[in-house]
Amino acid sequence: MPGSASVTTGGDSASPIVFIREIIKRYGANTVLDRCSLAAHEGEILTLLGPSGCGKTTLLRCIAGFIQPDGGAISIDGADMAQMPVNRRPVGVVFQSYALFPHLTVAGNVGYGLRMRGVAKSDIAQRVKAALASVSLSGLDDRYPAQLSGGQQQRVAIARVVVLQPRVLLLDEPFNALDAKLRGSMQVELRHLIKQLGLTALFVTHDQEEAMTLSDRIAVMRAGRIEQLDRPDAIYDRPTTAYVADFIGASNTWYSRVDGGLVRLPDGQTVSTTHSGDVKVMVRPHNLVLHRASSERAGSWSGKLVFRRHVGAMMEYEVQLPDGQAIRAVGLHGDQPVEPSPSESVTLAVRNPAACMVFPAA
Amino acid sequence: MTTQWRYREFLDRLGIGVIIAIAVFSLALLVLPSVVVVMISFDTRAFISFPPQGFTLRWYQEVFNHPVLVGAMWTSFKVGVVVTLACIAFGVPTALACARGELRGRTALSIYVIAPHMVPGIVLGVAVLFTGALVGIGPSIWLQAVTLSVFVLAVMVRTVTSRLQRLDPALEQAAANLGATPFQAFRTITLPLLMPAILAGSVFTFVEGFDNLSVTIFTHGFRDRPLPIELLAIVQQTSSPMVAALSGVQILLAILAMITLSLSVGLDGVND
Ligand SMILES: Nc1ncnc2c1ncn2[C@@H]1O[C@H](COP(=O)(O)OP(=O)(O)O)[C@@H](O)[C@H]1O
Ligand SMILES: [Mg+2]
Repeated sequence: MPGSASVTTGGDSASPIVFIREIIKRYGANTVLDRCSLAAHEGEILTLLGPSGCGKTTLLRCIAGFIQPDGGAISIDGADMAQMPVNRRPVGVVFQSYALFPHLTVAGNVGYGLRMRGVAKSDIAQRVKAALASVSLSGLDDRYPAQLSGGQQQRVAIARVVVLQPRVLLLDEPFNALDAKLRGSMQVELRHLIKQLGLTALFVTHDQEEAMTLSDRIAVMRAGRIEQLDRPDAIYDRPTTAYVADFIGASNTWYSRVDGGLVRLPDGQTVSTTHSGDVKVMVRPHNLVLHRASSERAGSWSGKLVFRRHVGAMMEYEVQLPDGQAIRAVGLHGDQPVEPSPSESVTLAVRNPAACMVFPAA
Repeated sequence: MTTQWRYREFLDRLGIGVIIAIAVFSLALLVLPSVVVVMISFDTRAFISFPPQGFTLRWYQEVFNHPVLVGAMWTSFKVGVVVTLACIAFGVPTALACARGELRGRTALSIYVIAPHMVPGIVLGVAVLFTGALVGIGPSIWLQAVTLSVFVLAVMVRTVTSRLQRLDPALEQAAANLGATPFQAFRTITLPLLMPAILAGSVFTFVEGFDNLSVTIFTHGFRDRPLPIELLAIVQQTSSPMVAALSGVQILLAILAMITLSLSVGLDGVND
C-alpha cells in the first residue's frame, strides 16, 4: 500500500501511522484523557511516559479498541478507527501480564490469530515457525506458557502479534512482570527486536530509565495530556516545563527573579532567559561542581557536605546550604585532587550556566 | 541461654495436631464404616454381622437382579443427569454474566441464584410440595429434578464464578486483539479454561441429583421412586447384606467422582 498523503502537523516528512487527535475519555467525573493528541511515525518506538494513573493504559486501550473514547479521533494508516471493531484493528497488543493462553502451547498461542483469520493449516505451521525463529524461540513450540521463563513468555507474546504483521505494536509495561535484574538487558534486547522486525511501537512505562533505553521519542504524559514529545536527550536536556524537568532525572530547584533578561545563579554566574518576573531554576546534579572550601578554586556559594557515596565510576554528593536546602551534585570519581569528607565545608559552582533550566514560577 | 520465641514451630505443631485429628476423625467416621460396609457386602451369610465370613458376589448379583432397585438406580441416574444438564445450562451463563458482564443488578442476580442453597433441603422440599399441591402440580420425577436443580444451581454458579474471577480478563481481550469474534473468543479461550470448573460443578450436581434425600422425600414421583427412597425402605424392612452391596456400588461411584474431580483440578493446577 502506498503511503497516504501527509497529514503531519510539523515539518516532519514521514506521515504518521498512528494519529490521535484530541482524545477524551471520562470515567464518571474523572477525565482520564483530556484532549490528548499524538502522532507516531513509521518505524519509531514512541514511549508514553508518566506517573501511575496519568492515563497511559487508557490511551493504549482506546487505540486497541477495548474501550471507546468519549471524544476525538484515532486513525491508523489514514483509516479512522471509530467504527473499527476490536478484532479488525491493525494493532498488536502485548499485555502487561502477557495474557498468554495457558491451555495452548507456544505454537498454539502464536498460531491463534492465524486460525481466527481462517489461514490454511500448512501456512499456519510455516508462519508460526518463522515468527518463533524471529524472536529466537525455535524449538519451544510444544511448551506450555507455564513452562517458560518470564523473558520467554514476553517473546511469545510478541511473536503472537508479530505473526499477524500488525501496523503498530502496543506494549503496556511489558517489563513489570520481570525480575528487576533481568530488565536492563531485556530492554536493550526488546529495542533490537522491534528494530529488527521493522515495527512501529507505542510503548507504555512509568520508568524513565526504561523510556530512555528503549525510545526513539518520548511523550511525557501528565493528567491525561501529553506534556512534551521529543527525543530522549532533548527531553532530558531541554524540558519545556518544570513538570518534565522534575519527572525526568534528578534536579536541584530554587526560586529567583529575572533582572534585565538575566537570572543570577547562587554562585554569581548569570543565565539569560526569555521569561520575566519570578522564575523556578532547575539544575541537574552533574551540572554542579564541588570544591573543598580550603582549595584555591573555592567560590562563594558554600555549604556543608553531609553525605557522599560512590556509585560505580561516579561520586554522589549531598550538600546542605546554610538555609537548610539540600543540593545534590554528581562528579566523576577521581575528579577531586582530595575528596572532601563528610561535614567538611565545600563550595558549589555551576559548570555550564546555559544548561540551567528556567521556568516561570508557579 | 536465651529463650527463643519459636512462633513458626508452634504454628507448625498446631497445624500438624489439627491435621492428625481430622485424619483420625475422618478415618473413624467415613473410611472405617465404608470399609466395614464393603466387607459385609462380600459376606456369605444372609444377615449383617461382623467380621464377615467367606467371600461372595451374591449380594451384588441380587442388587442388579432386583428389578425395583435397578429401576430406582435408573431413576436416580436420570435425575442426576437432568440436574447436571440444567445446572450447566443455567449456571454457566449466570456465572459469566455475574463475573464478566456489565449487566445491571448482577450482584442481586448472584445472590438470588445462591439463595435456595441456603434454605435447608427439607424446608425447600415441603414448600415445593405444598405450593405444587395448591396449583395442581403433584410430586413426580420432573418436580424432583427441577427442585433439585434449583437447590444445587448455586454450587455450579459458585464453582464457575470463582474460576472466572481467577482468569485474567486480558485473555479475552488478547483473543479479540488477535482477531477472534466474541463467539470465537468464548469457544476457544473462555470455555476451555472454564472446563475444569464446569466438570467439578457437574460432579457435585450429579451426586446431589443422584442421592439427595431431604428434597427428594417430598418431591419424588410415586411411580419413579429414586434410589435413596428405595434404600431407606429396604433398610427399614430387612437387614440383608444386599443393602451393604448397594452401599458398595455407591462408594465406588463416589471414588470415581473424586478421581474425576482431582484429575480436573489437577490439570487446572498445571495450566494455571
Ligand atoms: N474502568 C475504569 N473505571 C474507572 N476508572 C478507571 C477505569 N480505568 C482506569 N480508570 C482511572 O483512570 C485513571 C488512569 O488509569 P490508567 O490509564 O490505567 O493509568 P496508567 O496506565 O497511566 O497508570 C486512573 O485514575 C484510574 O483510576
Ligand atoms: Mg497502566
